[in-house]
Amino acid sequence: MIRVVIVDDELPARELLREFLAADEDCEIVAECANGFEAVKAVAQHDPDLLLLDIQMPKLDGFEVLELLDRSPIVVFVTAHDEHALRAFEVHALDYLLKPLSHERFQQVMERVKRAAGHERQPVANLATSLRAKPLQRIVVRGEDGAIQVVPVARLDYIEAADDAIRIATSGAKLRKQQPISEIAAQLDPDRFVRIHRAYVVNLERIEKIELYAKDSRVAILRDGTRLPVSRSGYQRLKELL
Amino acid sequence: MATTRTALSRATLGLYGMAAVTLAATASSAFFLWARHASPGMAVAAALPPSLVLGAIALASRFLCNALPLRSASRSSIAIGHAGSAAAASGLWVLTWKSWVPALNAQIATQHLDPDYSLLFALGVMLYVAAVAVQYLVLEIEALREAEDEVLRYRVLAREAELRAFKAQVDPHFLFNSLNAVASMCGSRPLEAREMAQRLADFFRLILRLGALERITLAEEIDLVQRYLAIEKVRFGDRLTTHIDVDEGAAACMVPPLLLQPLVENAVRHGVASMVEGGTIDIKATLEDHMLRIVVDNPADPDRTDARGEGIGIENARGRLSAVSEGRAMLQAAEAEGQFRVVIELPR
Repeated sequence: MIRVVIVDDELPARELLREFLAADEDCEIVAECANGFEAVKAVAQHDPDLLLLDIQMPKLDGFEVLELLDRSPIVVFVTAHDEHALRAFEVHALDYLLKPLSHERFQQVMERVKRAAGHERQPVANLATSLRAKPLQRIVVRGEDGAIQVVPVARLDYIEAADDAIRIATSGAKLRKQQPISEIAAQLDPDRFVRIHRAYVVNLERIEKIELYAKDSRVAILRDGTRLPVSRSGYQRLKELL
Repeated sequence: MATTRTALSRATLGLYGMAAVTLAATASSAFFLWARHASPGMAVAAALPPSLVLGAIALASRFLCNALPLRSASRSSIAIGHAGSAAAASGLWVLTWKSWVPALNAQIATQHLDPDYSLLFALGVMLYVAAVAVQYLVLEIEALREAEDEVLRYRVLAREAELRAFKAQVDPHFLFNSLNAVASMCGSRPLEAREMAQRLADFFRLILRLGALERITLAEEIDLVQRYLAIEKVRFGDRLTTHIDVDEGAAACMVPPLLLQPLVENAVRHGVASMVEGGTIDIKATLEDHMLRIVVDNPADPDRTDARGEGIGIENARGRLSAVSEGRAMLQAAEAEGQFRVVIELPR
């Protein structure tokens, strides 16, 4: 039995998928979600085999949903946008369905899903992270309590490395996310965010001044008084931008 | 290219003007000297240098004409400004005569020049005033030509904006999503599916019909918008509510077709669709003091990924609006506290 979660912010679109799935005896719908938050929760709760995922949704889009998943079900994107559909393959989604949905095409995709269901799959989440649209416009974080936070990059103060994770400083709070700092540094807009140190990426707009701390070592002082170390190569990068 | 040509012709025109004033001043003042028993050659030789000075001053009067435009400056300030400068210019011209004639007399023993200075002063004033009149004439002709250019520019802009508007008009994803809704309803609610298909067809027919017109009433545009919103409501359900309030005077106003439709489409696509709980699109139109004012309000998630910039829809609407009103209308878009607002003001 293939356990399915349907995610679409439009009710008629969910209804159509429900109707198609009802005709398939091997499938069972375990949850229907109207937005990305619900989707992340439903996947954590039900551990489905298949996620039928809309892309354009409020707050969290389909790609961001994938980024927040611990488990990776088989993903099939359902979208009216061809250009998103092409990106679906980049994030190792199994396939995509274009709206308006064709029943024939739906059945073909379901055949593929059933064949893939028993096999090992590449985790989609990490790939989703590395292939999202650049530069990154917002960062999605899932807290330990499961609460999801969306941080637009404009509200980012700085990011610091913490072992193999990062801490994202935004208006006084620090959010932890499991991701290497090099990865997120590469996704941010290079004109607005600078890697000033092996362990720090800073939002240029937040820098008040740079001070000489000792011979060859500098500190960046942010508007809120935070002091961050600046390495020699980090200072070179800063000088190029300022 | 165009500007260089204008600048060139302006400079040439100035030189011609200066030559004309100099010539007129030389001829007339030499005539006065000759009338007072100077030989013709002597009269011209004596008249030329002060006349060159007057020619230069007359040329400089252009700056004063520019500072006191006929259309906007008050009559009294124009009169006082030019009377003062005429007296000063003529005074300078007489002063040149007064310092030049004794020197000439000292050089030449055979004749004695004795110009009538008050007559020369009157002549200076007259020539200066004539020069100012010609300056204003040239300025008027230039303004007229610029106005014609402006009208032509607006016409070109209007065409371009229309073309762009038509291209942007029918967002294919709106059609794809709506057709998906139709497909969805076919199974469980065939009657509603039929109705939705009909609505879609009516909407697109109306777009084609209204789009072909030059101007339509606001009431017609609002009707189109309402049809559009009714279709979107099937997709968004309770997430989309609308509130439309158009006063009687505003409804009868003429507007370019498909002016509001793309803005309302934006309000759905980037506004209500970005909100988990959805929201209300509020459209208000009033007519006050011959000014049509249309306000479109909608909630929008400030953290949405497409939040940056005004977007092509607003830009197009602004272009069309300025084209049809020849720059007198305005369109403002602003976002604050999760609320997006577009305000259009169009003189009736």
